[in-house]
Parts: sequence; structure tokens; C-alpha cells
Amino acid sequence: MADDKPDIALWVDEAAKAIGLPIAPEYREKVILNVERSLAIAQPLLALELEDELTPLPVYRP
Amino acid sequence: MTDILSKAATASEIARAVMSGKARASAVVEAALKRIEASEPTVNAFTDIVADRARRRAVEIDAGRHLGPLMGVPFAVKNLFDIQGLPTRAGSKINVDGPIARRDGALVRKLEAAGAILVGSLNMGEYAYDFTGENAHYGPSRNPHDPTRMTGGSSGGSGAAVAAGEVPLALGSDTNGSIRVPASLCGLFGLKPTYGRLSRAGSYPFVDAFDHLGPLARSTEDLALSFDAMQGWDPDDPVCTDRAVEPTLLALHEGIGGLRIAIAGDYFAKGGEPEGFEAVATVAKALGATKTVVLPNAAAARAAAYVITAMEGAQLHLPRLRTRPQDFDPDTRERFMAGALLPGSWYVKAQRFRRQYRADVLKLFNDVDIILAPATPCSAPRIGQVMMTLGGVELPVRANLGMFTQPISFIGLPVVAVPTRKPGLPIGVQVIARPYNEAAALRVAAYLEKQGVCVSTPA
Repeated sequence: MADDKPDIALWVDEAAKAIGLPIAPEYREKVILNVERSLAIAQPLLALELEDELTPLPVYRP
Repeated sequence: MTDILSKAATASEIARAVMSGKARASAVVEAALKRIEASEPTVNAFTDIVADRARRRAVEIDAGRHLGPLMGVPFAVKNLFDIQGLPTRAGSKINVDGPIARRDGALVRKLEAAGAILVGSLNMGEYAYDFTGENAHYGPSRNPHDPTRMTGGSSGGSGAAVAAGEVPLALGSDTNGSIRVPASLCGLFGLKPTYGRLSRAGSYPFVDAFDHLGPLARSTEDLALSFDAMQGWDPDDPVCTDRAVEPTLLALHEGIGGLRIAIAGDYFAKGGEPEGFEAVATVAKALGATKTVVLPNAAAARAAAYVITAMEGAQLHLPRLRTRPQDFDPDTRERFMAGALLPGSWYVKAQRFRRQYRADVLKLFNDVDIILAPATPCSAPRIGQVMMTLGGVELPVRANLGMFTQPISFIGLPVVAVPTRKPGLPIGVQVIARPYNEAAALRVAAYLEKQGVCVSTPA
């Protein structure tokens, strides 16, 4: 569904505000491009379903 | 016999000559410094040369101090290793304004304790977020086999310095492929040990979950010799293993008898150019390997490695992205910025998936000891090249040179990258073993070297 595609420019602008990262206008376009690329590269991971029991492997040893 | 003062001399040959009194460490160091001076205008491998320090050390060795298996061997390190008295650049301009290292990094100390002599620091992609060896601040490292081409990165200077014969041994780091990619493009042997095997203390981090350090050299013996000297628990790196040191040098002569060797199929058999797969076929044939194994969900592993890298790297550099964005390399800045904006749920999912993938891949090692896979999808692209065609698809060079290395470092398996070369440019193959079995991968590499299938000669 085309409507489900995120507005990546909006995502970049709002997320940058939320974390306090100023992005100068001359960098903005390439940041948007890289978020788009990340979304594409992440797909095989995002498409997987994981069992609830699957927790990350901790390296922390008390 | 190799001339010990020539660029062809390996670390092992130099050490044997110095140990037996046939060569003086001072002469070896002077010859290396001369070669560096001659090659640098072409390859741009070094960012700092510590000639005075190296000469002092050589005099001490010639006076009978610092006896060890690497006596008199000149080496250099990627500039993310601390070198006492220098800022740790990590490929950046920003870090030059940072603290001066008060002590050498752990592995520099270990190699020098074994008699080796540090001669300088090496160029790298900014903050190691790189597969090309290009750097806007210091210029690209150039491939000695064809200086119009990339070395691969991010340990680009490490690849260039050893392939040009400036030094026989260099250290690099490998988070997603940064030792294996330049080893492949520069025609070298490279060892990415098991995650946690070698101490990372005194090196500038990138992605703690995947950061590894290791050697690049022109012979398997040199990898084993330096790896053995660098092993050992270090309380200064919380990830460093407390397993006993497991020396590998003597195992090199054992041959490949008893090793079950398979070829990685599916994900690792598509999406690259023919030369990458031909290299795997050449190596597999020499080893008599015919069985194929599938690493389940390797594409998701690559995706997860990408997500964790982008997000951990961005978080590390967020303060500098806020205050000094103009001082970043334009080829890393916006990638780091984008990484800071990705959803946290991706990161957690990637870490959870890592557990599953690790278990699935470790199961394969019940039936095989070694898995072969391409190191890079193609031989060295041209410097400045942005896009490349892989398997008929147009893709960005930067993100894709490491497509075959990422799913392996993601779970910390040990790998020796071995070089193959037909007429034209070199290209490497990954020899992958189960965790802590570096010895098996090195045995396979030594066998291939002995058979003349994988040979590394300086350009």
C-alpha cells in the first residue's frame, strides 16, 4: 500500500528535533537519502518474526 | 633466499635473520623507512611516521634487549591504535584536537614486547565507518597493485603499506569487514580473530558489539606469529576472553587432514561479480571441498549488522555531530546523522535476532570445520567510484563492498582472508572457522599458500 510508505523527510526533521540534532540545510538531503537506504537495507531483518523467548545475548557480567 | 632488507622480506624471515645475527634491526628499520619514503607519494598509507622512536628501539634490540619471536620486525598500525605522544586520529580531523595518548595501545605493547618495532600510524576511513579506504582529510590510501584503485577499508593504509612492501606487518580493525575487505582488494592475508580474542584496550572504538583487531601480512606464518604474540586476557577490555593462550604457529605444518571444509551457498553465492565466486571455486578445488552449506537468514544478518553499526556508531559520535558537523568527512557525516534517527526497536530486534543466527550457524559447525565464502563481491573499484554493478544490479560501493563479510563478523567468527590472483587485480576468499578455532583457518591458509594457490607478493 503506497499510503503506508513513511514520509522520510518528515521523519528526519521530527526525529532530529526530538534528539536535539541540528541538521543544516546543506546536509538534509543526504541524511534523507541515507535513512531511505537504511530502511531498504533493514528490510530482511524487519520482515522476520521472532519468538517471544528470544532475548539478546548479554555480555554484562555482574 | 629473500634479501632481508628488501620489500619482499616477511616478518618471519626478518625475525629469524635478526635473531641469528645475520641482520641488524637498525639496518632493517632504515630500509623500511627508505621504502616508506619512496612509496608514500604513490600509496598514501601513512599518517604519522615515528622514525626516531623506531631507530631508538632498533638500537636497543641490536644491543640484545627485547628478545622475542618478532625481533627487529618493523610494523605499523591503523591510526585508531593509541601511540604514546600522538593524538589517536581514527581517520578524523576532530580527534587531532583531542587528547594525546599517554600510552601505546595494548596490541602495540604486545608486539613490541615480542621484539617488533613500530614505525608509524596508517590511514583509514573516518571513524572506521568505511569499506573504501578513502578519506577526505588525509586523502585516499591507494592500491599498490593499481594506484587508481581503492585499497578497500576501513583499514586502507594497513592494506596499502603491506601490499607495497613498506612494512611486512600491519594491524587493522574489523567491525564489519575492515581487515578482510582491504586484504581482499590488496592481495594480502588478513586475520580477523574471534570476537574478544585480542584486547581492544587503547584503540578508538566504533561499534563495541562487533569491533575486532587483527593483523594483515603477506604470509600465513606472519599472521600466526603476530597473532600468538598478541593473545592473552586483558582486564582493560571487558570483552577480552580469559581463555588460555592457544598458540597457532606450530599448527601451520599440520596440513588440512581431518578438516571438513564446505562452501557457503545461497546468499554467499549470488549478488557479486564472477571474479569473487571464481576465487572461491579455485580455493575450494585446491582443498577438495565440494559440500555446500547454507547460513540461514544471512541477508537478515547483514541487515542486522548494518542497523547495529549505524545506530551504535551514530550514538558514539552524536556529541560531535551536534557541535562540529562541518569537520566530519562528507562521506561519513550524513550516514552517521541518519543512524542517529533510526528507531530503537530496530536495534533491539537486531540484537535479539543475533542470538538466533548465532545458534543456527554454530549448528552448522557440528558437520563442518571450515566454511569458504567470498571476501568481497568484486576486485578493487576505482578511487572515487560511487556506484558499481553487482550481479547486474547498480548498487552503492560504500554499503556493498562488505556484503559478504558483515554476516560473519556479526557473530564474531574467526576468519582468515586469503588472496587469489589471476592476471589482473587480486581478490580474496574468507576461510571461516568456529569460535576460537583460528588455528584451523590458519592451517587451511598455510596449505593454500604452500600449494601456490594463495600467494601474496608486494606490488
